[in-house]
Amino acid sequence: MGLMREVRVLTAGRDWRGRSRTPRSAAAHQPPEEPYEFPTGWARTTAARVARRGLQRGVLTPLTWSTTKPQVEGRELLDSVTGPVVLVANHASHLDTPLILGSLPERMAKRVAVGAAADYFFDARWRAAVTALVFNAFPVERYRSRRLRSLAPRLLANGWSLLLFPEGTRSEDGWMAPMRMGAAQLCVTQGVAAVPVVLRGTYAAMPRGRNWPVPGRPRVVVRYGAPLHPAEGESARAFNTRLGQAVAFPLVARSRRPASPAPGPAARASLSVATCAQPRTG
Amino acid sequence: MSRPGFVLEVDERTPALLIHEGEGFRLEKLPLGSRVVYPPESLPAIRDLDARIRDALLNPLGCEPLPSLLRAGMRLTIVFDDLSIPLPPMRTPDIRQRVIEHVLELAAAAGVDDVELIAGNALHRRMTPAELKRTVGERVYRSFFPRHLRNHDAEDRANLLEVGTTKHGEVVEINKRAATSDLIVYVNVTLTAMSGGPKSVSVGLASYRSLKHHHNVHTLRHSRSFNDPPNSAMHHSYDRMAGVLDEHVKIFQIETTVNNDTFPSQLGFLNKREWEWSLKDQASYLAVKRANDLTPVKRRRQIWHRTAAPYGITSVTAGAPADVHQVTLGHVLRQQLTEVNGAADIGIWGLPYICPYNVNSIMNPILMMSLGLGYFFNLYRGQPMVRPGGVAIYYHPVRNEFHPVHHPSYIDFYEEVLAETTDPVAIETKYEEQFANDPWYIHLYRNSYAYHGVHPLYMWYWGAHALEHLGQVIVVGGDRRTTARMGFRAASTLDDALEMAREKVGSSPSITYLHAPPLTMADVR
Amino acid sequence: MILTLEYYRSPTRYLAGRTVTGSRMGGRAAGAFAANMSPLRLVNRPDPARPADGWTRVRPLLSGICGSDLGLLTGRNSPYLSAVISMPFTPGHEVVGQTLDELDGLPKGSRVVLDPVLGCAARGVRPCPSCAAGEHSRCDHVTAGAVSAGLQTGFCGDTGGGWSRMLVAHGSQLHPVPDSLDTEQAVLVEPLACAIHSVRRVAVPRGASVVVVGAGTVGLLTVLALRECTEAGPIYVIAKHGHQRERARELGATEVLSADRAARALRRATGGFLAHPERGEEYLLGGADIAFECTGGSGLDTALRLTRAGGTVLLSGMPNGAVDLTPVWFRELNLVGAYASGGRDFPHALELAQQAPLKGYVDAVYPLSRWREAIGHANAAGRLGTVKVVFDPVRE
Repeated sequence: MGLMREVRVLTAGRDWRGRSRTPRSAAAHQPPEEPYEFPTGWARTTAARVARRGLQRGVLTPLTWSTTKPQVEGRELLDSVTGPVVLVANHASHLDTPLILGSLPERMAKRVAVGAAADYFFDARWRAAVTALVFNAFPVERYRSRRLRSLAPRLLANGWSLLLFPEGTRSEDGWMAPMRMGAAQLCVTQGVAAVPVVLRGTYAAMPRGRNWPVPGRPRVVVRYGAPLHPAEGESARAFNTRLGQAVAFPLVARSRRPASPAPGPAARASLSVATCAQPRTG
Repeated sequence: MSRPGFVLEVDERTPALLIHEGEGFRLEKLPLGSRVVYPPESLPAIRDLDARIRDALLNPLGCEPLPSLLRAGMRLTIVFDDLSIPLPPMRTPDIRQRVIEHVLELAAAAGVDDVELIAGNALHRRMTPAELKRTVGERVYRSFFPRHLRNHDAEDRANLLEVGTTKHGEVVEINKRAATSDLIVYVNVTLTAMSGGPKSVSVGLASYRSLKHHHNVHTLRHSRSFNDPPNSAMHHSYDRMAGVLDEHVKIFQIETTVNNDTFPSQLGFLNKREWEWSLKDQASYLAVKRANDLTPVKRRRQIWHRTAAPYGITSVTAGAPADVHQVTLGHVLRQQLTEVNGAADIGIWGLPYICPYNVNSIMNPILMMSLGLGYFFNLYRGQPMVRPGGVAIYYHPVRNEFHPVHHPSYIDFYEEVLAETTDPVAIETKYEEQFANDPWYIHLYRNSYAYHGVHPLYMWYWGAHALEHLGQVIVVGGDRRTTARMGFRAASTLDDALEMAREKVGSSPSITYLHAPPLTMADVR
Repeated sequence: MILTLEYYRSPTRYLAGRTVTGSRMGGRAAGAFAANMSPLRLVNRPDPARPADGWTRVRPLLSGICGSDLGLLTGRNSPYLSAVISMPFTPGHEVVGQTLDELDGLPKGSRVVLDPVLGCAARGVRPCPSCAAGEHSRCDHVTAGAVSAGLQTGFCGDTGGGWSRMLVAHGSQLHPVPDSLDTEQAVLVEPLACAIHSVRRVAVPRGASVVVVGAGTVGLLTVLALRECTEAGPIYVIAKHGHQRERARELGATEVLSADRAARALRRATGGFLAHPERGEEYLLGGADIAFECTGGSGLDTALRLTRAGGTVLLSGMPNGAVDLTPVWFRELNLVGAYASGGRDFPHALELAQQAPLKGYVDAVYPLSRWREAIGHANAAGRLGTVKVVFDPVRE
């Protein structure tokens, strides 16, 4: 059985995907790794959209709503939104995305793509596939060494709203980190509005390190702000500052409920306002 | 950025490695600790080749630009390397075609009308019209063949001219038309460090009288190696002869080098390092190997000989031969040289299906010996890859088959001479004169497409250095009787070969495998 | 009544044999055909009677199987010979036997070797010119006289033959075997005499190059005869089988060549150019001075292609099949035939046999009852490593 023997010789030392380990002495001469972008286009096809709707409505949203007690405010401000927008939110927990997706108006929720960290969510193929399917995620490079051309402008052009977390990572300590320029630049260059979304209580509900919300159905707040349009000739930096303020200090009546993150020292230094910090009530 | 060559040390993670074996190849798991010499990755080819050629012709090294050397009424002879180079033959348009077309354009512009093209084939067989057309291109062929485009005839006494003698007493006798020209333009392809430079005119257009001064056992045994010109007695002889030629005839040398894109993209896995094979590469390896093994021998040979290498040109240099050759050698070594630390007890070479003397033909056992113990063994600089008295293991089927038209003297050499002795010195003493002067062989060389009668002996001398250096030669997969006739041993697998080698090198020998083709030269420290 | 192998008249079998063994496939099966389908049978017949005075009964001790016998059994022999045989006859003409009657100069019970040719002396007729000159192989009276038509004992219905327990022979046909010669070597005397005769048929100049095509019994003994009886120079033997090469070298061959390389090797040795016709084997423009054809088959074509212009090709073996005679015309060759022996060839052969290294040439001895095996063996003798196969009629 010459063929069987051939196959055996060929596959000895190679894994199930046909990849061989690099011998030690060849390690120094490995070719540079090609940056690989996980294709997410398939997740925006009709079939995938249908499946996603089912997953979100049937599994994700009920699960989220049952393990926490969300309070949604400012939804009416989104009535005036037509066309794609960039939703900009603070990020403290993995709960953030399900909460937003579950609380958006139906028409917007259907056309939202979530920017997810390429190095975390799109690292392993299976995780990438699941994230793309369930959340309609697309990869965003957060460490500039391997710059991929971002999908974001194209998605906006195709009518998809984007959900971005400009802090770039979940909060370490509950306080907000400075917002990166990407979202603001996107709005300015593409000429779309940004909708600030403020999430309160998610850090306490399921901080970094936890894979499940704390028991006892903690209260969380999702507050939508009025869409901000970049002004004529406004620079991205200036727009970013405005956005930052909007997220940190929403101009909507606050709830007296607990656990709201105050702007961190850096943000505070760059802002010029007074009374915004919510007292921590126990 | 192409990666440099390096020496792999086989460890547990190394998959089976590819070894060429005539018209085929196999995957072999080498013992742990074996070293494998990989060539540098293929260098990028020159993109605008015509511009580069033009630039080289107008800005040569060591002499005036070509247009100023051309004038109306002069005798111009263009000599080009024959089909023994490059290997495998490169895709059309051949680089020689392009260079010759440029040269002819300049010549026409200058008003030269006495132009002859000669293939520098020395004692190799004449090129057929089809082969000439493939090398020089359709346009040149149609304009010049058959009266002004021909092969060099080393036995045409009326058309040979003795140009002089070196101070060592070596007669320099070359083609008369070339020797009496006002300008010789030599178009060369330097595939290995052995060719080009002083070798081009002094050997390519020579006669037997001239060649026997350096194509002999003594000179070849003192060429260590003949791919390393500074240490090669053969090249010292070439230099002396080139010195004599310089006094009598003007040579404008155009040298080109190629990269390591030896195999077409369908066989891309042959050019890649084995642990970097993608699934597609592995699938194509299996498919090609299966199909190849199932094809009958003759058909297989046809298919392999029809493949053309997608070589890219890495340099074009023109001017005075000595200056040009320095630059060319630099390019060749850049593409092929890999550093190796120390010699090993056992050297392994996988021999491909083609050598310079069986293009469009059959590789007979003597050519296998010259390819393995000659060309491949001598792909070193410094010292051989194998220590003195070590063992060489080759992979080749060594079939007892000869091409009756191309290699008639080889048949007699195998049947009669090798049956009696395999010692190069004894062969040289007893048989060289007979084979060189046999009127029938000369007749076939001049009128048919046969290699000169003395050529098989030269092939045997090519391996004389190796025969002296090695303790034993084992051929894996070789035909038993044929290898025994040549003084080698045959083994069916690598394990058997290592077992056989045990008597000479012990049970845990150090092994080095030269992963060629693509061409690799080991710089052994 | 004696046990004898009798060849009887059967046109069907003869024709069948001729056609079957003529084809390529049949050529290989020739041995099987000769053994099983030929018109030969083992029978009991009355003792052959002495036709006249001067004849004696002879009891064969050993009888050889010759190539011409095999040709007879496979039907390859030419119908030309049908006029000079009388059926049914007992084959076998290479005989060493014991006389059973008293003759002048030959006491009863002497060990003798038979010269099978039935010339004028044996037939009791006035000698034809050839017999008178001592060349009884050229006798014109082979169809007349005391016995029926028969070129030799072994092709004549009245004399019996070697492959039986008794035959009759004329005194002139018998030569006593000296005690120093074994019976096994004595049985080679008849083919040796033929070989000596053949090398004397043409003048072999001193140092002439000779090629002997075929290294069976005839070829090997021709090499011996060339070395001992002529001044030939290099002798090239074309042999197919390993043991034949050994023996050829022993007997004095300069070089032994294999059939497919013969032309090239001979070219290297004698010079000349090799020519390649579109159909047929390659041949030499050049070549050896004299060629001896000792195969009785395809060797003739080879011999014609390897002889230089003006040279001589000698047919030692009985030819069968057609051959292209163009080389004979184009190269102005002399085509010479050599049949049997004459004159003093037999005494010379007896002398030579005592000195020559002929041991082991007869290594297959069969009783008459196993005649089919014997015939098959003889047909494939070369391949089986044997030179001569003989019958021992005395054995059971």
